[in-house]
Amino acid sequence: MIAVVFLGLLVIVMGIAAATGVSTGPMPIAELVMLVALFCLFFGAGVHIAAVLGILALLIGFAFSDRPFWLAIGQITWAPSANFILVAIPLFLLMGEIMLRAGLSEKLYRSLNVFLARLPGGLLHTNIIACGVFSAVSGSSVATAATMGSVALPYFRNTSYDPRMVLGSLAAGGALGNLIPPGITFILYGLLTDTSVGKLYLAALGPSLLVMVLFLAVIFWHGLRRNRAQAASAGAAAPVAQAPSQSLARTLLDLVPTILLIGMVLGTIYAGLATPTESAAFGVVGAVVFALIERRLSWRMLHESAIATARTTAMIGLIVLAAFLLNYILTSIEVPQKLARLVSELPIPPWAIMLLIIGFYIALGTFMEGFSMIITTIPVIFPVVKALGYDPIWFGVIVTMLVEIALISPPDGTVLYVLQGMRADRGSIVDIFWGVMPFLTVYIAAVVILLWLPEIALWLPRLAG
Amino acid sequence: MIPPDRSSLIERARGAVETLARWMNAAAGWMFVFCAFFITAEVLARNFLGVTTQSTTELSAYMLAFGIAWSLAHTLAERGHVRIDVFVNKLPARWQRVLHLVALALMLVFGIALAYGGVFLALESFEFRATDMTGIRTPLVIPQGLWAFGIAVFALLAFLLLVELVVRLARGDGEAVDRRMSSRTYEEEAREVLEAIGDVPAGTPGARR
Repeated sequence: MIAVVFLGLLVIVMGIAAATGVSTGPMPIAELVMLVALFCLFFGAGVHIAAVLGILALLIGFAFSDRPFWLAIGQITWAPSANFILVAIPLFLLMGEIMLRAGLSEKLYRSLNVFLARLPGGLLHTNIIACGVFSAVSGSSVATAATMGSVALPYFRNTSYDPRMVLGSLAAGGALGNLIPPGITFILYGLLTDTSVGKLYLAALGPSLLVMVLFLAVIFWHGLRRNRAQAASAGAAAPVAQAPSQSLARTLLDLVPTILLIGMVLGTIYAGLATPTESAAFGVVGAVVFALIERRLSWRMLHESAIATARTTAMIGLIVLAAFLLNYILTSIEVPQKLARLVSELPIPPWAIMLLIIGFYIALGTFMEGFSMIITTIPVIFPVVKALGYDPIWFGVIVTMLVEIALISPPDGTVLYVLQGMRADRGSIVDIFWGVMPFLTVYIAAVVILLWLPEIALWLPRLAG
Repeated sequence: MIPPDRSSLIERARGAVETLARWMNAAAGWMFVFCAFFITAEVLARNFLGVTTQSTTELSAYMLAFGIAWSLAHTLAERGHVRIDVFVNKLPARWQRVLHLVALALMLVFGIALAYGGVFLALESFEFRATDMTGIRTPLVIPQGLWAFGIAVFALLAFLLLVELVVRLARGDGEAVDRRMSSRTYEEEAREVLEAIGDVPAGTPGARR
């Protein structure tokens, strides 16, 4: 619903822009409006996103291009199909699938618990940190929320923790999935905008720490305010009962493989030793070794990971092919270029346009899945952002945060419904809406802080040169 | 899913292509596993042994092209391609079914365009004996041909599925359309994740170790 209202607003703004006559050069406005309408109609009618983009490319091509563009379809779609940067996507997905089946989540949660259960807010901190660490290897927010939900919720059964906070913190943790490197969103963004994925990962480091610290602060504050002292001890009873039998050293040892794996993947990228694709390949091999150590490795398990990876890759891949086709045709009739010129000549300050763009993404995110959103919109929005003088790397981080915020925004956020499906107490989903609110608020605050202080994202990439 | 006595020629054809698609998807998945080990081995060999094929970038990129194309059809069969269904779900069932078929038809048109482009490109590479710039001079027709084949199977499956579902809808079997076309829900997605970690289905408390 937010989406519809916002899109309406956007149309009005564009209308004012057209009426005040800032239009630059010949632009087939009527036809373009028709195409945008067609776009919305197709989307609304539930046509597959890839098909919407592809069919529009064909229509625009036949209507506006005077070149025989269909001769180039193969060449245009072959380029992103056989692209070394994109190879990182299936490899990261595969790493996540293997780690998922190797029992990473449960081990992670149990070990982190031993350390974090003593803080005010207790187990809730574990939710955030475990989600954060897990999402660093998983890259999918829905998978993160589902996995961590299944592991964490039993710990909270029969405790006096506020169920709203429990669910809210799990949802919030799930929304770290794409922001914490190595996220797949950044690979797609890097490919579409010709920015370095390594630099994007560096830039994401500061903001992901910021968001995590803000999340922990929310829990800390909540814990202090409600003085959960006895609740914390009751809540931690199950894990603490195990803790003495398995010594602290043993717990630390449990965390070593995970830390090593993450260190290897991110370390090689950050140290400039490997490209993201290469480090993703190391990650897969490392995950296989991890599964071997855990005695979970089998042909069947590897087979299941492989086919799940192939399916997700096909889903993303088809949209990428379609987007490249559409982008080629739009660029050949100079639509993004003209749009960028138009927007930069509007009598509106750049920050206002940036706010509009941010609103647009949040609105879109309420009904569209993250990857598709990025692939569909970035080719058109990015030239505008660049024309306004914003840093491409910084914008990549902002967009990723917005996609994540959309995932946990009531009333549409997917992650919230995943968690609702896993509850045993069959409470109302409104609990989750309320629970996630403080986290959502600080997440948005983090975006605002990043708008004010772009340096949080940009100093690391700059340091790296 | 379809009782054998009622299966017509088109349904059997669709079933056969789906089986093929499932195998192709598995091949694509294992190609990614292989790709990871291939890249790792190459990097290790380059750094520690000073040996390199000097074509990892190209070869692994071909593997990706293969992987994407060969899993397209199976992903269609499994309803894995993303659509926005928020609005569709609010319509009466009859309209939903019509829109499902419209979506499939447009997917078919797009699939045909892609397949046409792919086959055209592969044939062109064959005709001009095009190779890549690496040391091993891969004839481009091999990766491009495999890629185009995958896309063609995808278009073929979309075609067979569309014909079958149109016939079924005309005969009044609208549920077949729902079954084959309605989007995967987040419940299904979450359930798959839980199955993957070997967890009990949500909602059965206390059954954990």
